[in-house]
Formats: sequence, structure tokens, C-alpha cells
Amino acid sequence: MTYLIYNKLMDPTTKKILLVEDEDFIRELYARQLTKAGFLVKSVADGQAGLDALKNEQFNLLLLDIMLPGMNGLQLLREFKTQNPNSPMITILLTNLGQEAVIKEGFELGAQAYLIKASYTPDQVVQEVKNALMGGQPVPPPSPTQ
Amino acid sequence: MSTALLILVTIASVISVMAAIIWILKLRRQLSENTRNAAQLAPTLRQLETERDIAIAARDKTNEILASVIDGIVALDFNKNVILLNKAAQELTGYSETEIQGRPIDRMIRLFSEQEEILPKTYCQGSFNKPVKVVGKEGKQTKVNLMTTQAEGSVQTNLGCILILHDLSKEEELEQMKLDFVSMASHELKTPLTSIIGYLSVFLDEAGNKLPKENLDLLDKAFVSAKQLQTLIQNLLNVNKIEREQMSVSLEPVDYTAILYKAIEDLKSQANQKNIVLTLTLPSQPLPKVLADSVRLSEVVTNLLANAINYTNPDGKVEITTLVSPTEVTTSITDTGVGIPKEAIPHLFNKFFRVSNQLQKASKGTGLGLYIAKSIIEKLHGKIWVESEVGKGSRFSFTLPVVNQTNNILDSDKFIRSSIQTGALNY
Repeated sequence: MTYLIYNKLMDPTTKKILLVEDEDFIRELYARQLTKAGFLVKSVADGQAGLDALKNEQFNLLLLDIMLPGMNGLQLLREFKTQNPNSPMITILLTNLGQEAVIKEGFELGAQAYLIKASYTPDQVVQEVKNALMGGQPVPPPSPTQ
Repeated sequence: MSTALLILVTIASVISVMAAIIWILKLRRQLSENTRNAAQLAPTLRQLETERDIAIAARDKTNEILASVIDGIVALDFNKNVILLNKAAQELTGYSETEIQGRPIDRMIRLFSEQEEILPKTYCQGSFNKPVKVVGKEGKQTKVNLMTTQAEGSVQTNLGCILILHDLSKEEELEQMKLDFVSMASHELKTPLTSIIGYLSVFLDEAGNKLPKENLDLLDKAFVSAKQLQTLIQNLLNVNKIEREQMSVSLEPVDYTAILYKAIEDLKSQANQKNIVLTLTLPSQPLPKVLADSVRLSEVVTNLLANAINYTNPDGKVEITTLVSPTEVTTSITDTGVGIPKEAIPHLFNKFFRVSNQLQKASKGTGLGLYIAKSIIEKLHGKIWVESEVGKGSRFSFTLPVVNQTNNILDSDKFIRSSIQTGALNY
């Protein structure tokens, strides 16, 4: 479990992000880029740790991988929403598969957006997070690879 | 009187004795004749017995052979009644020979190709060779390959048609295992590759301008190759999805103009590198919304456009045009490229098919792109085709249904993209 603390910690406008992702390298890379972009990032590697983190503190945005060992992303989200039905936290689903059914289920559980790891560069992921938090216009999705 | 009587009696006795003797003699002659005849018949009888034994043995042998054939064999008479059902056919259909013998086949065994039932008059006409689903006793279902032959039967043999049923369930199981493996392997390969591409992109971004050009060139090539590998894995996964019948599309009204502009934008640099003029010609009226899956549709447009650029020599032209009718939009992508040989056109949309042609040796590809494009367009209820002339160029066209304004079924669908802030379904 990594908690990257910048001196922005005390800044009330600094947005807090929880990243739940089991792939170590992807988690490190996303956390690094998000932190560099000025966010306060906590990252965990599995669903249970994610749920525990959500119980202990409040986040502005949850970046949630769906395929996780043990409790998967959707189970985490369902659990969280049952306990906090009115939470204003924004959820973005991370997926490698692009399974419509899973994404649809995530949306029904209150996720606002999804992105596919393989199609987004880390900086595009940061941009999506910014858009979601600032309510800005979404950047056009990257075109399918050739 | 008494003497006369005595003489008469004596004569009568003599006569009867004589008659008896004659009769006995006759009998004896008869008997010896019979014995002679019997002696003469014996070899014929023996021969008949031997022949019967041979016939029984031959029949047993034929039955034995039929029973040990792994494929199911069903023989029908001229009226399509079952006359024979070997052991394998009994196992496939669930019927015993006595249950089915002499009964019309279509009442007992039903055969389906896709969802459509095939009747004996179809499969017994000429030779038939197709995978079908057999529905036998109590609805027992098996996937088989059905081959039929018309028997050259005479009226005496009353043999009309022979069905050979080859069980495909084992093969299907193996095919499924193969598909599972490809899917699993591709996903496993994709995960580290996503990391490689992610780290390289960040590194190029942060350190690219600090590196000597020579080093940057090395990194650029690694990045391009990683992206190519990603595309290849993506295509394999796409094909895998198509084969598992899991390729899903979510149909919704799509702003097609935006997709076309985006595709042009994405491939502009590729076209510029070869000095190819890339144009999009739209009708004066705005394009109507089409019923499609925006991500899948961009995949198709980008794929066809990239192909056109790939197979067009430098300084050529690639053009996208659209034709609108009340029910559909037809998109054509025309290039001034090398063209496709006539004999290759029927196979062009097949999996792994690549045109082998001197001019096209330089281009690389997996032969999966057009197969995927065709599968997607068909899922979107459209058609895709190609016209081409070697040396002059090719034109790939496809249709998409126009959204029917009165149809608001989609409004009830919760999964409407407008609610999605970000993201694209990319496979």
C-alpha cells in the first residue's frame, strides 16, 4: 500500500484519488502520473484493501480495476454503494477486456465512466480523471489501434 | 357249388396274393428308386447348406463391419423409410434398430442446419455434405457432419439413400479448448504489453527531447513495434470473440460524420508520409444518424482506410464518399492503389487470407482486418463488398441502416452512451 504525500496535502482543493489496480507496474505508473498532475493518490492492489480504504477516508474519485483477485471491482462497488448510497465520489472503471456486460453492470452500480487500459496512454488516463473531476469536456476517445 | 366256391375263393386268394406280391415288388422298386433319388439329392442339399452358412457368415460379417464403423450409417428405402441403422447411428440417435426399422425417417430423426430443418427430399437429393444438428429419440441432440449418397438400388433391393453421420462433438470440444487457449494467451500477453507501452509513452514524453536523436530513434522503433504487437493481439482477440460468437455490438443512433472525420484525422500522418491525398466528400445535407456501435464502426472505417493507404503507392489518392438513401448510408473508400486480382476477391474477407502479389509483398498484415470488418458490418445489419481492378485501385463499400425516427425503443435502453463521460470500448 502506497500513500504518496505531497505538500499539497494541506491544500483543501487538492483532490483525493483511490486507485485500485492489481497489476503492480500499471498501478505504479498511474499513481506516478496522477501524483505528478497534482492529485493526492492512494493506491491498493486488491478489492478488500480498496474497501477498507474507502471505509477509513473519503475520496473524490475512485479509479477501479474490474478484474481483481478475490473481491472484484464490481463487488467492491456494490458493497460501497450499499453502505454509502449518497456518496458524491466519482467512479471510473478500468478494464482490459472491454466487456459491455461488465461495464453496464458497473454503470448500474453508479460508475460514471470507464476506460480501457490498453487503449489509453497514462497521460490520457490523467486527462480523463481531470475531466471527470473538473466537469470538463471529455477528450475524444483514442481511435482503435490499427 | 361248394367246389365252385372253393375254386373261386382259391382263385381270389391267388389273385390277391399275386396283387400283394406285385404291390410289394412295386413298393420295393419305388423304395429303391427313392433311395437312389435321395442319394442323388444329398450333394445338392449339402451344397445348399454350405451356401446358407456362407450367406449367414457374409451377413454377419457385413453387420459386424457396419457395427464397428465409428460413423453412424442409416439406410433408407425409396419411400424414405429406415431399413438399417448401424450401432453408431443407434448411439447417436438413441433409437434401437427395432424401434425405427420400417418407419419414415423424418418422423424419427430430424436434422437441422443452423435453425432450419433439412428434409429427406433435400439431403437425399444428390450428395449432401454439411455439419448438421441431429435430433433423435426424446430430443437427443448431437452435432454431426452429414454425408449422403443415393444408392444405385433396384426395385428388389429397395435401397434409396444412405446417410453417414460423423459425430462432431469431440471436435467441437477440441475447437473450444483451442479458442479458450488463444483467448487466455492473448489476455496474458496483453497485460505486460500494456505496461511496456505505458512506460515507453511516459518515458518518451518526459525524456524524449533530452535524448540524442540516435537514442530517440531506438526508442521510437521499440514503441512502434510494441504498438504493432498490441494491434496483432487485439486482432487475435477480436477473431477469437467472433469465433466464440461473443462479438457483441450495442446498437444506438450514431453521429457518423464525427466518426469519419476522426478516422481521417487519425490516418492523416500515415497518408502524408506517402504523399497520398486523403479526402472525405460528404453530401450537402448533413448525414442522417446511423444505427451502429460507434467504437466498432470506427474500427471498420479506420481499418479500411489504413488498408487503402497501405496498398496505395506514394502520390496516390484515397477518397471516402457516402451515398444516402431513405433506409441506409453507403460508404465507399476508393483508392488508386495496386488493386486486387480477380481470383483473390472471393476470398478477401476470409480469415487469414492475404493477397499474394508481387506489388503487395512489402505490406505487412495478419489477414484478419477484413474478416473482422465483415463480421462487424454484418453484426450492424449492413453489407460489405469490394470492386477492384489490378493496377487501377480498389473500392470497398459498406452499408449501415439509418436510424428510424419513429423507433424509440433505444430510449428505454439504460445503456445509452450519452451518460458515459469518457471511454471507448476498444478491443
